[in-house]
Amino acid sequence: MTVDSNVAGVGLGISKENHLLNFVKNNASLIALIVLVVGLSFADDAFFTERNLSNLSRQVTIIGIIAVGMTMVILTAGIDLSVGSVVGLSAVACTLMMQWGVPAALAVPLTLVIVGGGIGLWNGFWIAKFNIPPFIITLGMLTIARGLALTLTNGSSVPVKDNSFSIIGGGYIPPMASSIILIACAALAVYSIFREVQQSAAHGVQVNKQELYVNGAVMLSGFALAFYVFTGYKGIPVPVAIFAAIAFAGIYALNNTRFGRRIYALGGNEDAARLSGINTVRTKMVVYTIISVLAALAGIILASRLNGASPNLGTMFELDAIAAVVIGGTSLAGGSGRVSGTIIGALLIGVLNNGMSLLGVVTFYQLIIKGLIIILAVWFDVMQKNK
Amino acid sequence: MSEVVLKMQGIIKDFPGVRALNNVNFEARSGELLALMGENGAGKSTLMKVLSGVWPYPTYEGDIYLRGEKVQFSNTKEAEAAGIAIIYQELNLIPGLTVAENIFLDRQFTDSKGKISWSKTFAETQKILDDLGISDIRPTDLVQNITVGKQQMVEIAKALSLKADILVLDEPTSALTDKEVKDLFRIIRKLKADGVCMCYISHKMEEIEQVADRVAVLRDGETIGDVTPIADITLDQIIARMVGRDIKDMFPKVDFKPGEVTLEVNNLTVSNPDLPGTYKVKDASFVARKGEILGISGLMGAGRTELVEGVFGAYPQNTTGEVKLNGKALYIKSPRDAIDAGIALLTEDRKALGLFLDKSITFNTTISSLETISSKVLGIINNQQERKVVKDYVDQLGVKTPSIETVIGTLSGGNQQKVILGKWLNSKPDVFILDEPTRGIDIGAKVEIYKLLNELVNQGVTVIMISSELPEVLGMCDRILVMCEGEIVSDFERDKAKKEAIMAYATGSA
Repeated sequence: MTVDSNVAGVGLGISKENHLLNFVKNNASLIALIVLVVGLSFADDAFFTERNLSNLSRQVTIIGIIAVGMTMVILTAGIDLSVGSVVGLSAVACTLMMQWGVPAALAVPLTLVIVGGGIGLWNGFWIAKFNIPPFIITLGMLTIARGLALTLTNGSSVPVKDNSFSIIGGGYIPPMASSIILIACAALAVYSIFREVQQSAAHGVQVNKQELYVNGAVMLSGFALAFYVFTGYKGIPVPVAIFAAIAFAGIYALNNTRFGRRIYALGGNEDAARLSGINTVRTKMVVYTIISVLAALAGIILASRLNGASPNLGTMFELDAIAAVVIGGTSLAGGSGRVSGTIIGALLIGVLNNGMSLLGVVTFYQLIIKGLIIILAVWFDVMQKNK
Repeated sequence: MSEVVLKMQGIIKDFPGVRALNNVNFEARSGELLALMGENGAGKSTLMKVLSGVWPYPTYEGDIYLRGEKVQFSNTKEAEAAGIAIIYQELNLIPGLTVAENIFLDRQFTDSKGKISWSKTFAETQKILDDLGISDIRPTDLVQNITVGKQQMVEIAKALSLKADILVLDEPTSALTDKEVKDLFRIIRKLKADGVCMCYISHKMEEIEQVADRVAVLRDGETIGDVTPIADITLDQIIARMVGRDIKDMFPKVDFKPGEVTLEVNNLTVSNPDLPGTYKVKDASFVARKGEILGISGLMGAGRTELVEGVFGAYPQNTTGEVKLNGKALYIKSPRDAIDAGIALLTEDRKALGLFLDKSITFNTTISSLETISSKVLGIINNQQERKVVKDYVDQLGVKTPSIETVIGTLSGGNQQKVILGKWLNSKPDVFILDEPTRGIDIGAKVEIYKLLNELVNQGVTVIMISSELPEVLGMCDRILVMCEGEIVSDFERDKAKKEAIMAYATGSA
């Protein structure tokens, strides 16, 4: 992961005594995550075990993958409510194809292109070309895609039995290979930070030391934890690897590519973006296509893990994905936010779900608690901005 | 001599790393208009924010006295209650409500059951408008349907209905037509006679001459000289106080020999989507040559902005006509097409159409030409190259900033404008259109921008400049087009252009 430079805080100096307070504010969701993890570790012996954490990481991937796309959509000041239904539709479409005898190696890409790409282009077309509010278009698609999934399956589940298919959601990268990958990634991350610092210094750009240390420390402890968990229990789960790759691609694309700049520009000031020569229509279409393809991928992973699909898969996933993005500090008004925050948001929700289940909190209460936490996160964000 | 109603003494206001106000002293009397002058960033707005409680006590040092009594406001409500009203550059009205509702927002007259009495609300509004001698606004008009100038009057009416006797006007005329300015000044004179104390922030010298009684000048957060009666000071002396040096040559015009025609526009028409059958620009045809600065003059709403935005492909659905560049017909369907063809447009509304306020200088500089600093296929940005490009422009244009990663919203207007100039220079245009490039910018930065225009012309760029300030157009342009109600009505060569003639064409009275 690289240091997010686009969204570094406004350089308003802060007096020394406020430093700690400010640090807490800027990293509130991260601190909440750490507190939660530590608290749960004490509350329940089963929480901080390689096995549970490995499972937890796998559970996070589904929402996490969607949330990476949702970050981009929300950065453009849009929203996509249809992702949950796309998860369901793609899961059914993929498993149905396989029931009809299409091999997994073909069914998966077909699902991504037809379900993911098709729905994404449809959403993007109406939103970008005709300026119809994304809320409405994707709300419509939420119903349409769910209806399609129910129609295709006649309302019943679709089981599949295919070993190569179940690797996507249930497989592991062997422990040995996992450790090599993790060490290589950690080394690469450290190197990229060093290079960033050097280059910044060469151009007289002041590096925010505090932010840098936090980023570095978080990354390294993340890698250490991953190393502990994954080498201790079967290796890196395949979906986790897929999620990591997508998250990295998302962070990289937003920070270091033309496409990323266009997204921030579009969300920050659409008129100025257009008059700066940005093709806002195309950018929006691409963004909505990306999130639908990612949602379709999440659906496939889910179907693979469950060895089958039900048309009701993915119900309400859109809310968890949006919550992850918002908890991660991305502004619903568009233009500011980052994927690294979203990952923390997704982890926070994952840990919360996992912890509450372990502690035996009744599902009904879980919903209430989750809702309150989302409200709290947004309230905190708004308070901070008003100051 | 009238009573001193407002006195600010030894005001010091610190922002992290900057002292915005350093021992500011001034006083204002009832029934006078005190002009508060100074370059952008001199501290005028900060001072007024201290006065109005936006920066509450004790976030500043020093004392504020109202009619001899010391006051310490802890919020804007308290300042309002003490009779201080500020009318900001950006108006604070609700467009979808009527004039009366805006004036009596949240204070409508109600009957005993709590039901709003509209007849009373409208009648009271009419009374206030009558008192001000405003006859062309009705209480029932929707704010969105009246001109900016009238909206300003509504703001003033609202302030007076709140019993304000200290009125701060922050660049009130920046968006007004000449007629509206006259109306405003008439009201200002009336308010003076009624004993209202006004603090008037403006960059426009001729206005100060017309309406101000006394002048206070701020520079770098300090009051320069005493508050001086306007009769005892010349404009040159005011400018000298503002900039700390004499600006001998406000318009450093350099003469070039105009070359061949670069941009040719034929019968450009921009229709008005809000009112079918009407036009914002009608059958406009003109040429611009290499090595010249072409000025476009006219009143607000004459269609100047729409003309250049039409050329730039800002509203392809509503634009017809032909645009040729270097003899070749262009097919411009979007700003991207225009940029690729070699046309750049610096927009009039910096905040709404030009800036990404919460993004860095770097982001803002390269956003319109990302292709030049990124790989072809994947679009991966070369950070090294980007920073070098940005740093070069920051140095070349003299942008005052701690770093190229500084958020642009924290810079002064002049520096923001320089960054936007850099952004468009970076797209290497053949034709550079600038729409009101010096609006809201201090004098020092203005002259720098004029010099840059000369430099561009010298390099063979065709420069087109829209400006509402006649001295600027007359001082810098080789040729001047005048627009009136969507049409180009006249075309002056530099040596034949006269202020009066241009105004006559612009107002449609020629």
